[in-house]
Amino acid sequence: MTAIGRVVATELKPSTPHQFHFWTATETPIGIGAIVKVAAERVVYGVVTEGFAYSDLATPLHDVVGAEGDPARTDAPTTRQQIRYWTAAVLRQMPEEPLQPVPLGQVFVADDADVAQALRMDAFLYSATPTAIPVGLYTSAGRDAPVYVDADFLLGPEAAHLNISGVSGLATKTSAVEFLLASIFAHFPAHKGRIAAVCFNVKGPDLCFLDQPGDLSDEDRRRYERLKVPSTPFENVRLYAPLKADGVNLNTLRTHPDLVGDVEPLTWGLQEVVDFAEVLLNRDDIDAKADAFIDYLRDRVLGRTFDDGFGTTHRVQTFADLHSLFRSIFDGLEVLSGGRGDTWRTHHIATMRKVRNRLLNISTRCKGLVTDDGPSSDLPWKSFEDRTVYVIDIANVDPLGQDLVFARVVSKLREQLERRELGVDAVVVFVDELNKYAPGDGPDTYVKKMLLDISERGRYLGLVLFGAEQFRSQVHRRVVGNAGTQLFGRMDMDELATPGYQVLTPATKSKLATMPIGELMVRHPHFTQPIFVRFPKPPVLRGRDGVERFPPAADVPFEEAVVRLLVRLDRRVRPNQVKDLIADREQDDVRRALAAARQKRPDDVFAYFRKVLGARVESEANLPREHLAVPPLNPISDEPY
Amino acid sequence: MTWWQPLIQAGAVPGSGSKGEEPESSERAELVEDGELQAHPIPPAAGAAPPPPVSFLNGMERWGVRAYDGVIPVVDAYVAAAIRRRESGGVLHTTGERHRSFAVAAVDSMTPKLRELLEQSVGDIEPVDREFVGQPARYLEQVEAIVRRARTHLERELAEAGLDGLGADEWLVLDGLLSRSPAVARHPRSLGVIKSHGAQFLEGRGLERALTLPVGHRTSVFTVRGGHTRTETYSWYLRLWPWEGNDLLYGLLRIEARAHPETIARASELSRWLWAERAPLATPATRWDRLLYPLHQVEEYLKALAPRDLQMHRASRLPRLSA
Repeated sequence: MTAIGRVVATELKPSTPHQFHFWTATETPIGIGAIVKVAAERVVYGVVTEGFAYSDLATPLHDVVGAEGDPARTDAPTTRQQIRYWTAAVLRQMPEEPLQPVPLGQVFVADDADVAQALRMDAFLYSATPTAIPVGLYTSAGRDAPVYVDADFLLGPEAAHLNISGVSGLATKTSAVEFLLASIFAHFPAHKGRIAAVCFNVKGPDLCFLDQPGDLSDEDRRRYERLKVPSTPFENVRLYAPLKADGVNLNTLRTHPDLVGDVEPLTWGLQEVVDFAEVLLNRDDIDAKADAFIDYLRDRVLGRTFDDGFGTTHRVQTFADLHSLFRSIFDGLEVLSGGRGDTWRTHHIATMRKVRNRLLNISTRCKGLVTDDGPSSDLPWKSFEDRTVYVIDIANVDPLGQDLVFARVVSKLREQLERRELGVDAVVVFVDELNKYAPGDGPDTYVKKMLLDISERGRYLGLVLFGAEQFRSQVHRRVVGNAGTQLFGRMDMDELATPGYQVLTPATKSKLATMPIGELMVRHPHFTQPIFVRFPKPPVLRGRDGVERFPPAADVPFEEAVVRLLVRLDRRVRPNQVKDLIADREQDDVRRALAAARQKRPDDVFAYFRKVLGARVESEANLPREHLAVPPLNPISDEPY
Repeated sequence: MTWWQPLIQAGAVPGSGSKGEEPESSERAELVEDGELQAHPIPPAAGAAPPPPVSFLNGMERWGVRAYDGVIPVVDAYVAAAIRRRESGGVLHTTGERHRSFAVAAVDSMTPKLRELLEQSVGDIEPVDREFVGQPARYLEQVEAIVRRARTHLERELAEAGLDGLGADEWLVLDGLLSRSPAVARHPRSLGVIKSHGAQFLEGRGLERALTLPVGHRTSVFTVRGGHTRTETYSWYLRLWPWEGNDLLYGLLRIEARAHPETIARASELSRWLWAERAPLATPATRWDRLLYPLHQVEEYLKALAPRDLQMHRASRLPRLSA
């Protein structure tokens, strides 16, 4: 191996145990981020963090004089003596003790084995139970060495979580996570069990086509081979999306006829929502009285036969039932108390009105996700499958609904992981836009609290957060601080000027600000310094390409949508029969019957559907439908609640 | 208004400077070009730069007193010389290098014990005549002359060796007299570049023309006999930077080439080559106005290799702590 440089140490710029300086020829393959090896009485690995070039010119004025004031003159016969002078941060010293300043010696470009040593990957790459997950290729200095992170530190239990920052629109954050999930699924060690991923699609069609192959270049395929990751889309993808307000068309961009069949509706009823009623309450709403009333509803009312004290017995299972209950209570207080009653079972009428408004409001704002009545359609709790990606498309859902989905899904994941009954041992939860969901400032929302909880305690359970955001400095410190592995794509210069990046040299910041697509800076507990890696384009269809290749279908008429949904459940269903059956029926009745069939999944779908529809799926509230939805409160209303 | 401003207004040329070089012996030069010494402008189009490759030779010397045997200074000396070749990219690469470390002392006058010790520890000793012992100033002058002679000898050897390896179209440019070696002085592609003008070859009108040579001009070619070999070479003055506002020797070079009619024919072309060497400036060298950058770089190369404890810093006279 040929030396490419020599360590130099002066009184002004001495070598230390953590940093050294070396010079190279003017023409050199190394640059910022290159890993080098110093071979002397001890071996030292370092990563180049700063570079300088200067000549023997004492002052710029001498160059002006030499060129006689003409910058276009290039006829100087001799090239000025110049230097390429580099600063490197120590990655590892061997032996590690005693820790000493870097000795003078020749500098070499690190080869594959050196990279593994330098990044301390040898411990988890060559052990009896390897836990190495490829994160990319180290390509500086003309090398092509795989870089691995330790699954014990990426997915727990030693450390966990991953945070990725980068400016939007450069296909880095989502692509990196997609590649990394593919890598995890390919390399997650058998002794660590089964793993799945839950991805929240919060914008556009980003994660809607993870099961479709993307266009890969030969170079990308070569990189996949080098990293031993299959260059194929995810084999097992389950996509969930809420319905639109019509209750039959899916609220997602993956509605192309060829693909829409794979999308499962996500609809929740009262039971699913009320457990997370706190999500629906804003900071001003949270008080002991509201909490007490919600607890009362949960414990004493929902799912039980309940006497309201005014002579009516209720069985509250849907929003419609709940509305009926509230109406009965308010009417009872009005009528039976002669208008003077303001307390029911120790709960003040104002508190009850507030809770009613918040709960029923969600069924209006998130119509399609939350159903007034009828059964729910949910994720396959307790039967999560190994190496499966569960995508929940909430891009077009009201922010309140997004919060609700996130809170409920993560809570259920946590609950079932804790009981070891989810079906897998670890779940990666990918959340984009942490700037929105876990901002450093602003109110403490339920979602933020949940993200903090995952960040701080998830690793013990196998609940791993992969978070992405544009501005890391504006995400809650404990969320990013608990991420054991951090990835950085191209960064905004203003963001790099914030205190969180002070540990980086100006050259590293400059590289971060100009980072090309497909390159990342990685920080990982085993790496003592940030490392730059390249990763291949993900093997899946990118969102925007997917929308071009599979344009979303326009919403179909109600009858047609019902037919499609039933045909999906049973291919024997004949469309005309369905259309004839539902022609003179109320749409809400049809929706309920459809939901029942979807939940039951009988052998003969049409027969079951006809039976449920014919028997008229009972809605206990025989009230005009327009009363079911309570419009949002006017914020400047005089109402005390 | 100062007293000299009226002089300048009346036609005197502004200048600056103080004591310059030590005068050396004068020689009578014979013109071989023109009837009397003329100033020739350097033709702008006659060859922009020396054709690659070109080799440059320079040397350096360092010495310092290390010990005293009674009043006899025992001196540690180091001389070195190098040739660096400039290829087409303008970058210099070392093609030859020689150095010598030796002691200088009046060994005949030293106490037997210290002399024996010196001879045992240093294989290479240059003696100083015993007549200088007891006269510190003259003794050190003698040391300086011995070291300079050693350097000249080293440079001559290296130059002669360098000529053997010179390519077909390659030139060798030396810092200093060409005539120190007959073989070098007679070589068709060697040039001596002299920055010191202690020796005077011209007189009268010719001298005045040479000392007030405008920038971008050369003088007529004349013959000189230099070095201990008294080898004849052709020579001319060349002004690289305007002397007005400075001193008469500012930017003034004397060039030596072989004594051959072709030298006269190519004097303007060679001057043009050397004129192109003004850039880059040989700063921060104090005599950058007369030092060609490649020769400066050879000197820097030699300094980088020289023993650091023989730096030419004058020892501080300030009292030092005993520790």
